[in-house]
Amino acid sequence: MLEAIGLTKLYGSFKALDSLDLSIEPGQVFCLLGANGAGKTTTINLFLNFIEASSGEARVHGLQVAENPLETKKHLAYIPEQVMLYRHLTGLENLEYFTALARHEEYSQDQLRRFLNEAGISADAIDRRVSTYSKGMRQKVGIAIAVAKRAKALLLDEPTSGLDPKASSEFSELLKSMSGEGVAVLMATHDLFRAKETGTHVGFMKQGRLVARLTTAEIGHADLEGLYLEHMHG
Amino acid sequence: MVVRIARKELLEMTRDGRFRVAGGVVALLLLIALGLGWHRHSNVTAAHEIAIAQEREIWESQGEKSPHSAAHYGVYAFKPTGRLAFFDPGTEAYTGVTVWLEAHKQNQFLYRPALDGNTLQRFGELTAAAVLQLLLPLLIILLAFSAFAGERESGTLRQVLSLGVRRSDLAVGKALGVVGALALLLVPAVMLGAAALTAARADSPSGGLVRTLFLAGAYLLYLGAFVGVTLAVSVRARSARFALVALLGFWVFVCLAAPRAATDLAKALYPTPSVQEFAAALAEEKETGIGGVDYDDFLEARKQELLAEYGVDDVEALPINYAGWRFQVSEEYGNQFFDRHYARLWDQFEAQDGFRQKIGFAAPLLAVRSLSMSLAGSDFAHFRRFAEQAEQYRRRLVAFLNDDMRDHAGAGFSYRRDQGLWSKAPAFAYDAPDPVWAVSGQSTALAALVLWLVLSAVLARSAAARLEVS
Ligand SMILES: Nc1ncnc2c1ncn2[C@@H]1O[C@H](COP(=O)(O)OP(=O)(O)O)[C@@H](O)[C@H]1O
Ligand SMILES: [Mg+2]
Repeated sequence: MLEAIGLTKLYGSFKALDSLDLSIEPGQVFCLLGANGAGKTTTINLFLNFIEASSGEARVHGLQVAENPLETKKHLAYIPEQVMLYRHLTGLENLEYFTALARHEEYSQDQLRRFLNEAGISADAIDRRVSTYSKGMRQKVGIAIAVAKRAKALLLDEPTSGLDPKASSEFSELLKSMSGEGVAVLMATHDLFRAKETGTHVGFMKQGRLVARLTTAEIGHADLEGLYLEHMHG
Repeated sequence: MVVRIARKELLEMTRDGRFRVAGGVVALLLLIALGLGWHRHSNVTAAHEIAIAQEREIWESQGEKSPHSAAHYGVYAFKPTGRLAFFDPGTEAYTGVTVWLEAHKQNQFLYRPALDGNTLQRFGELTAAAVLQLLLPLLIILLAFSAFAGERESGTLRQVLSLGVRRSDLAVGKALGVVGALALLLVPAVMLGAAALTAARADSPSGGLVRTLFLAGAYLLYLGAFVGVTLAVSVRARSARFALVALLGFWVFVCLAAPRAATDLAKALYPTPSVQEFAAALAEEKETGIGGVDYDDFLEARKQELLAEYGVDDVEALPINYAGWRFQVSEEYGNQFFDRHYARLWDQFEAQDGFRQKIGFAAPLLAVRSLSMSLAGSDFAHFRRFAEQAEQYRRRLVAFLNDDMRDHAGAGFSYRRDQGLWSKAPAFAYDAPDPVWAVSGQSTALAALVLWLVLSAVLARSAAARLEVS
């Protein structure tokens, strides 16, 4: 579903991403681990065609991203590190707008409320302007937007940063159920524990290179941390 | 999609306190300007109606005198103010709308030192046209400078584009949003304007509706161009702050600097004499003989023709009143001279206007201002048309009186007439031009506005197509 072939991004002579080869099938959750500046966001930006690859290609559902920027986005949902919303609109109005832009006009107000509720926005907060929302609440609206999009692939850039442990764990459950439905997930994260919990695969990224990849079934949590430190600082 | 985007933009704007205040202030100023314009317009129109009626009565009851004395007695002619002058009084404040007409003189009813005024002067007199020309563009900039730059900065643009929204849809939707916000603000003003328009007592009803529609079209072109430019800059700007600064610079250039410079340049390129210089030139030519021909020689030549025509060799033997005939000759001697001097002066003013229209290609304000005054019937071209008609009328009136005297032989200078003649004298009736006449002199301004709109739309579209996420 998500595929990178020799994907490379140069800024001048600096390699932000160095020949990434990656394939994420439906139902797989690939957790991209790595220090700040490792190239995780760059990878996601390339899948979104927000930046142009220096060489190689990114594919979504078999389609080259650079050549089908609109078509490939139909299959994608994206949650950034910091979900940003229109501050003068309520949580509900924001969700309504974003789902309408994603061409999902079919939802009733009740259904939209349910999406927000399930993402963890309390009923009384739904009709408040989002300028009163905390960062965690904004992330939750972002989650609701992604869920409502019913995409085949999720691109998550540290989506749980700023969420409290409870919300974070609920998010893990949501991810599991979505991958159970056959959604392919690429998630950049720093959270080794969540990666072990929800990921089917993990990859270690260092200075633009994917230096190791594992299936989480093979390893325990303690092992993951050890491996991470070994690869990152070894 | 586009409508959905526009609706969201509009909703955001209506909830943003800054926009509400800015929009409210502009809408209020517009209403005040319309009110002031209406007040001024109805005062002038009412005063005219009374004055026209009184003027005729005064003329007819001037008592017994020689027809030539009656010609010296003089009359006023009034320029009918068009319905739309309440919206855009144009140059009327400077040219005035009244002319004093009497024998021997084409009165110098025209001098317009401040006609083209500078922009600050136009701010000084609050007119609805000035609000549309100067303040609405400013409002458009405030409403739309952050349309793209702001969303890029805040990060919402990433999310919107991750949904697979077409960039051109986004641009069109945002443009429509701004247009919608403006429409909302203008609703009360348009309604008031329409009411005023239908209620306006206009001396010249010619093409009121057509002129209004043309006028609306001109402003749509003008304001549309500002929407396009603002969006294009917002797409390209590195930050919202940068977009705002760049756009305010553009506004200052278009609305303040360019009109000022255009006026100064127009005066330098097509200089006009001051009132004193003009009067001195008239006096000097009179002194040296008009067109190089001395009055006595002119009279002598015409006299010889007259004597030959009647086959007599002395004026005493003529079957006409020689004194009356001579008054008319002296009138005609002066006319050619007025024609020449005024045509030269007025051609210069028209050349200045034409030049300012051309500057409309650089600064659309000049184009819309020119079109607006013209459609409101308050520009210099309309004034000149009135002045020329008034002058033709003066000549008809004076000739009518002189000819009556000429046709009464034997009475000489002591010939007297009364109301019987005065009431037969022609009255002045202004032949108001139709809207096509008004725009026919405005093709340069119109072309400039169309070009600005098309260019700004192309610019916004092509910029949006290359919209960067960060
Ligand atoms: N526009 C840019 N110009 C130059 N360097 C950039 C640009 N964007 C990102 N980088 C660099 O690319 C590297 C990878 O960044 P990123 O993918 O954001 O890392 P992370 O793994 O923390 O998400 C970093 O060193 C970053 O400084
Ligand atoms: Mg990152």
